Amino acid sequence: MTPVLAVAGLTKRFGGLDALDNVSFDIAAGEFVAVLGPSGSGKSTLFRCITRLIEPDAGSIEIDRVAFGSLKGRALRQARGRIGVVFQQFNLVRRRTALANVMTGALPRLPLWRIASGLYPEGLTAKAETALASVGLASQRYQRADTLSGGQQQRVAIARALMQETRILLADEPVASLDPHAARLVLGLMREMAKSKGLAILCTLHQPELAAEFADRILLMRSGRLAAPDA
Amino acid sequence: MADRIEDVAVDRPRDGNNTGPSGATEPGPRQARAFLPLVVLGIAFYLLCLHVSEVSLSRLVEGLPRLWTWLARSWPPDLSELDVLIRRGLETVAMATIGVSFGAIIAAPICLLSARNIGISPIAALPARWLLNGLRGIDSFVFALIFVAAVGLGPFAGVLGIAVHTAGSIAKLWAEAIETAENGPVEAARMSGAGRLKVFFHAQLPDVLPQLASILLYMWEFNVRASTVLGIVGAGGIGQELKNSVDLLLFDRVLTILLVILVMVTLIDQLSAWLRRRLS
Repeated sequence: MTPVLAVAGLTKRFGGLDALDNVSFDIAAGEFVAVLGPSGSGKSTLFRCITRLIEPDAGSIEIDRVAFGSLKGRALRQARGRIGVVFQQFNLVRRRTALANVMTGALPRLPLWRIASGLYPEGLTAKAETALASVGLASQRYQRADTLSGGQQQRVAIARALMQETRILLADEPVASLDPHAARLVLGLMREMAKSKGLAILCTLHQPELAAEFADRILLMRSGRLAAPDA
Repeated sequence: MADRIEDVAVDRPRDGNNTGPSGATEPGPRQARAFLPLVVLGIAFYLLCLHVSEVSLSRLVEGLPRLWTWLARSWPPDLSELDVLIRRGLETVAMATIGVSFGAIIAAPICLLSARNIGISPIAALPARWLLNGLRGIDSFVFALIFVAAVGLGPFAGVLGIAVHTAGSIAKLWAEAIETAENGPVEAARMSGAGRLKVFFHAQLPDVLPQLASILLYMWEFNVRASTVLGIVGAGGIGQELKNSVDLLLFDRVLTILLVILVMVTLIDQLSAWLRRRLS
């Protein structure tokens, strides 16, 4: 099976410290892979290097066999649209509705006046509503993001990623700020997305029991290295 | 590179207020000794200023009787032309309102270019910041003086003066407000592949919009107060009446004008404060 995301030899140094040391792995379509490790093990650096929010020192990143690691400027921006991202702190626009936040995934397709006015075309609105319904938040679509609970906000963030029509979902500690019940709900949802939509999911976690329950495969990270390719 | 230069340029005045990291964390004789020359310098500067501004108690005492007779002659206030004066007061409000609105239109692009966390064009950011500091640095009174020469006497010169100076102030305050917006939603929106302007309108503007509106209201309120003097340079409004009346020593009329200004400014202040409270 061809991998959707292929990372090879990814390395990042901060000062004299190896935050990432020659990290390589593949993720196939429909696969939910958890990255497990103590804080400071390089999980977040891995996440930020793959999304190129920070630049890796060496290594390659391929998405659907296309080199993503070497893109620059406009090409990088456009390619980024093919990675859905979920953050620990949800990163929703507080004063906008759940629906408008889901629309974030369609920003490149929207003209500026529609973004500024919040008057979205019907087709995209219907699509955003479908995305919200698939995370169980259809009736909250006109609620302001900052009035939603943490678990609900993270589900909006997942709907935002779905709106991008990506094949890859990267999640950086998506449940670290959630209570155990909401955490299981969000992870269950992500797992279901992997299976039903064929998403390749890379998710950093720090609770082994959650990783064991939801992930197809676990990558163990310690001091910037992958400890065992499979567990 | 450009980013780094402007960081230094903007941070320098702030650093000047600090006594340095070591002095701030361990108060003691070292800090006191470093502080002493500054105090001496400060006192010397103050005394110099006192000398240069020709402060003289005797001249004040000599002038007091004159002030007193004027004050006595101003009562009762001359209300015969109250309708004219109120109309001139409204002209001042109109000048400030239109001036601030034009200023906001000029400020918007400058602010978009100069706010650090929007980052549309790192190359244009530095000139944009120079421009807004230049506009801010010259008072609307001075701009009005120039515009009176260019477009003639009357409120339009005042409008232009207010617009140009206020554009700099609004742009600076707006940019600072935008820079307080959260970075997380911006990162998320950028990951969608959208450009910076789209990200700004989607993820940054909604969060700071109440602050931006509040700043605009404050600038309006401030300019109604400040532009009462614009008439002195011939740029329209109630200031013009004030100057004429003082020149003709019509102190009962001056008192009426001062009362009109006071009522007008108080009303505008209250209205603006109420609106800003509702925004926050």
